Amino acid sequence: MYENMKKRFWRCHVCGDIHFGEKPPETCPTCGFKNAFVLCDRFEADNVMKDVDYAIDTPEAVMKVWEDFTVKAAFHTWDDKQAVHDLSLGVLENRKSKGGKFCPCRITTGDREEDLKLLCPCNFNAQRTWKENGECWCGLFVKR
Amino acid sequence: MVAQEGQRLIWFYGRECPHCKALHPVVDRFMADTGTEIVLLEVWHDDKNAQLMRKYGDKIREACGGELGVPAFYNEKTRKAICGARLAIDKIQRWADGQ
Repeated sequence: MYENMKKRFWRCHVCGDIHFGEKPPETCPTCGFKNAFVLCDRFEADNVMKDVDYAIDTPEAVMKVWEDFTVKAAFHTWDDKQAVHDLSLGVLENRKSKGGKFCPCRITTGDREEDLKLLCPCNFNAQRTWKENGECWCGLFVKR
Repeated sequence: MVAQEGQRLIWFYGRECPHCKALHPVVDRFMADTGTEIVLLEVWHDDKNAQLMRKYGDKIREACGGELGVPAFYNEKTRKAICGARLAIDKIQRWADGQ
C-alpha cells in the first residue's frame, strides 16, 4: 500500500502542482493543462512547497477534513458526533506524541511502513469490519 | 487477589478509543457481577502496556481481523483473544472462562 520506493515526485511545469505517485495525472487538477507533469526530485519538490505552511491540528479542522472526504463518497461519518469528536482528539494526541494522526483504535508497531497504514483515514476497504458491518474499524466511516 | 503475570485476564484499551469508552462500563459491570478480575491496560499512553500487547500480537491480530486494535481482551492462560466494538457480556464471559 505504501510502497513509496516506487513513487516519484512530479511537478506541473505550468502551475507548480506537486504530485507524488508512480505516474503523474494526465491533466493537472489545479490548472487543467494536459501532459503538464515533469519528473522532479525531492529537493525540487521540497523547494516548491517550502512556503506552504498550514496545519490540521484542531478537532474542528480534523473533523472538517473527514466531512469533506465523505462528500462524494459512498460512506459518511459516524452519526455519533461526540464519538467523532473523541476520535479527532485521539488522532491529534497521536499526532503530538507519535508523529502521525494514527487511529486511536489501533496501535502502532514501531515499523514505519506498517504504522503509515494506521494514518486516519486508513485503507478501511480491506478491513473485516468494513466488509461485514459496513464500518471502518473505529466506526468513523460508515457505508451509506 | 491479583493474578500473576501469565495467568491474567487483560483488557487492552485506548483512552481516546470511543468503543473502549463505551465498553468500559460493561467491563466494570462484568467484574462487579461475577467477581472476575480483569487487568485494564491502556496502550496509547503507556509504552509498557503497548509492548505487552505487541507481545501477544499474533493472537490479537487474528481476533481483530488482521491488525492490532482496541478494544482487545487477552486471556494469558488460554492465549485466547477477543476483539472489537460489539462484545456482549456473554462473549466476555466465555472468553474469561477459557472457552
